[in-house]
Amino acid sequence: MAGIWIFAEKTEQALELLQAGQLLLAAGMGGELIAVTWPGGPRPEDLGAAGAAEVLLLPPLADHQPLESYGPSILEEARKVQPNLLLFSSTARGKDLASRIAEGLNAGLCSGCNALHWNSESGTLEMERLLYGGAAVQRIAPFTFPVLATVPPGTFRRGTGNPDREATIRHLPAPPVSPVSVLEHKPKERKGQDVMAAKIVVCAGRGFEKPEDLAFARNLADTLGGALACTRPLSEEMHWLPEDLCIGLSGIQVKPDLYIGIGVSGQVQHLTGIRGAKIVCAINRDEQAPIFAAADLGIVGDLYAVLPRLLQALNETAAP
Amino acid sequence: MDFRLTEEQELIRKNMREFAEKYVDPIAAEIDENSRHPAELFKKLAEGDWMGIPIPQEYGGAGADYLTHTLVVEELSRSCSSTGFTVSIHVGIACMLVNLFGSEDQKKKFLVPMAKGQHLGAFVLTEPGAGTDVMAATTTAMAEGADYVINGTKTFTSNGPTGDTYMVFAWTDKAAGRKGLSAFIVPRGTVGMKAGEHFNKMGLRSSQTSEMVFKDCRVPKENLLGKEGNGLAMAMTGFDHGRVGIAAQSVGILQAALDESIRYSKERVQFGTPIARHQAISWMIADMATDLSAARYLTYAAACLKDQKQPFSKEASMAKLFAAEAAMKHTIKAVQIHGGYGYCKGAKVERLMRDAKITEIYEGTSEAQRMVISGNVLR
Amino acid sequence: MPVLVACFKWVVDEAYIRRTSAGELDLSSVSYKISDYDRNALEEAARMKEASGGSVLAVTVGVPESTKGVKDALSRGADQAFFIADPSFGMLGASETAAILAEVIRTRIGNFDLVLCGEGSSDLYNQQVGIRLAERLGIPCLSFVQKLELEEGRVVAERRLEDGIERVSAPLPAVVTVLPDINIPRIPGVKDTLSASRKPVVTIGKDDLAVAPDAHFRTISLAASRLDRQCERFGADETDIRRFIGALRQKGVLR
Repeated sequence: MAGIWIFAEKTEQALELLQAGQLLLAAGMGGELIAVTWPGGPRPEDLGAAGAAEVLLLPPLADHQPLESYGPSILEEARKVQPNLLLFSSTARGKDLASRIAEGLNAGLCSGCNALHWNSESGTLEMERLLYGGAAVQRIAPFTFPVLATVPPGTFRRGTGNPDREATIRHLPAPPVSPVSVLEHKPKERKGQDVMAAKIVVCAGRGFEKPEDLAFARNLADTLGGALACTRPLSEEMHWLPEDLCIGLSGIQVKPDLYIGIGVSGQVQHLTGIRGAKIVCAINRDEQAPIFAAADLGIVGDLYAVLPRLLQALNETAAP
Repeated sequence: MDFRLTEEQELIRKNMREFAEKYVDPIAAEIDENSRHPAELFKKLAEGDWMGIPIPQEYGGAGADYLTHTLVVEELSRSCSSTGFTVSIHVGIACMLVNLFGSEDQKKKFLVPMAKGQHLGAFVLTEPGAGTDVMAATTTAMAEGADYVINGTKTFTSNGPTGDTYMVFAWTDKAAGRKGLSAFIVPRGTVGMKAGEHFNKMGLRSSQTSEMVFKDCRVPKENLLGKEGNGLAMAMTGFDHGRVGIAAQSVGILQAALDESIRYSKERVQFGTPIARHQAISWMIADMATDLSAARYLTYAAACLKDQKQPFSKEASMAKLFAAEAAMKHTIKAVQIHGGYGYCKGAKVERLMRDAKITEIYEGTSEAQRMVISGNVLR
Repeated sequence: MPVLVACFKWVVDEAYIRRTSAGELDLSSVSYKISDYDRNALEEAARMKEASGGSVLAVTVGVPESTKGVKDALSRGADQAFFIADPSFGMLGASETAAILAEVIRTRIGNFDLVLCGEGSSDLYNQQVGIRLAERLGIPCLSFVQKLELEEGRVVAERRLEDGIERVSAPLPAVVTVLPDINIPRIPGVKDTLSASRKPVVTIGKDDLAVAPDAHFRTISLAASRLDRQCERFGADETDIRRFIGALRQKGVLR
């Protein structure tokens, strides 16, 4: 039994995956926890502190090579070592790499895995994922190992690390040159609070009539100390807000303490992105909007009338 | 007997549903409220070949069957029955009349732009004193040299203010009785033809309806549709086709009423339970669904007979009579299910109920349909 | 003249899925559709062809009843379809689908320039098929593409990643998986649908295939998902809004 591998682009994602791996090992899934990283990726000392027994360190990539070029190196090592499970954080690059490696290993890949359970009696790994735009939950088990999974960021809580723990580092060989070359990388402008990390998320939907009106939602987010997000039509069709603020199955999945959907109808794909919210609130003038069935608290009313009143009441009653 | 649609018909219906959800639903309440003809929507309908479905491709149409056209009118009407009706009368009567009775030259000149959706057709028959009693019409068309000169006043002309190509019925020989009525193709802009103000109607508000006044309106003889004296027969054939469309419009209204009623009754809670669980409501919905199916099959059956080149006059009347009355009856129920909310502007069922009423009136009242049906079965 | 291959899947329209009172999935009244993002792939291929010539071949794997889906794809600008059908192809995993597609593309099409796939299907949303397919074919893959161009023997694409936009280039032939914002798919007109029936379709059965891939997973359970929420309603007047704020404070999610 050769343990669990994890791969993530960001340190916090890696720590979540290490925590998931530790839980599986504690449940009796044999082997060690091994993290794969590269110069520029999560740091080996952080990975070690968070529980990785070994870090497989890739050499730097040649210029203009995309991150996915590491695929053959990781694949070759996985072929040799035959880990039971490979967990990838489901960022675009993570999903791409996981698919390549799964194909190379002729292995199954559970995409968008949001629960993992090791059944030690039967020796089965039970994996959970959503189907049909979030309308159904499927539990699956692999016929064979290795098996792979991509895990949405935020699915598992980060564990508490131990800075004294250190991983042994093993260097992996350089991959062959990829035929794909990166011509340009346009980094995303970071504006406002990070939606993924925010405790309060204010989400704007189709109910807003003009892009200027989003100021109401932004205002509410600022007042509450939260982050602004949106539904797919606002980013994809209207281009009022950037794509990375779009919550939903094909967008980001958030787990705030409080989610407030304003003028959000509540398509099943969107609801999938807010399943993890502790409290869901909705403001919509259509009392039949499906969001109300998926909300803890709902205000039935025109957002243009409700938001000014809500802001005023919040300001008046603000805790000193 | 096979009640299934072809894959093409199912796909075309699905595409129209998507079109209607994308382009019609968002404006349906507004064009109703403002009585506005949505020219931008009709441009889009033209682009997708939706404005001449059963017309052969050589004459600008899509070359599909009449049932396909019927399905499209139904789906459009489910979102906005004014729009569904405008397509229905344009295709079912105006285009069909030229297609069936027009000369090769008339088809090239008038049918091609109509079937492509570039020109909107209108059917100009009803007069202030001649509704169901078509023979009481007084408008005349006198031959004068190379022209006919039309004089008279028509009313309740759908697409009157917005039309481009008018099918005008007038007496060429009043003394000849049923053989004295003739039909003319009169293009917009012809001197002496004038559309009146758009009527402020109870429902079907975005469909433009007006008087049409003809004062020494000269049309060249080549604009005579079919033969002189054949007007009445052609008008009846036009009605047969148009009535299948009105039946489809009614089915669309009924489907929308059912959709709304199901949705609302499952969510509206009274006495601690969704009202759909109250028998008083669930039975209303059961009756609505049953009449919808009956209306739909009558309508498709009439369209199929037409496609099979069989007589379908009686069946068109039956479909129109049943579907229209069912639409009226059940939209009233749908408002009832919605209670006070259904009585307010903004509730779709409110619009559906107003729109349903006209289906019992135009292209032959329910009473006129019973005359046609009884005439057929008592023969 | 590029040969463009667009892969698509005919799937259950999730809008019609109901949940029974027992919490089971009710698929009894579902209708089917071309998977949403595959429509973007078909659209992008059709636009490329309309702009610079070439041909579009649509390929699908599914149950024999998916003929309507084949016509749907052909009504969206494809010239020809390859329909790989078997009653057992209803719930294939990503690896199986990719293996079957790879064999058909390699043996039946052979000379192609670009394969376009949706980033994931709207039913299973595995987001694997395009990438696995490229590995199988041994050609480059550009995934999560929001903008696409063909240049001399190369494909240039913009990938949308979490940390920004990555412009990449790869030699042809290649596979791309497209994001929904790459285009707005057309609604086929009536004539498009009617002409689809006259376009050639190559139907390929299970026995015609050399590969017989195995499933990697078994399903333990499949149930309707549930969102247990309190569903408390408030009005829009000031009193209710104050009550609403009070409720949030009580739950400890608001300062």
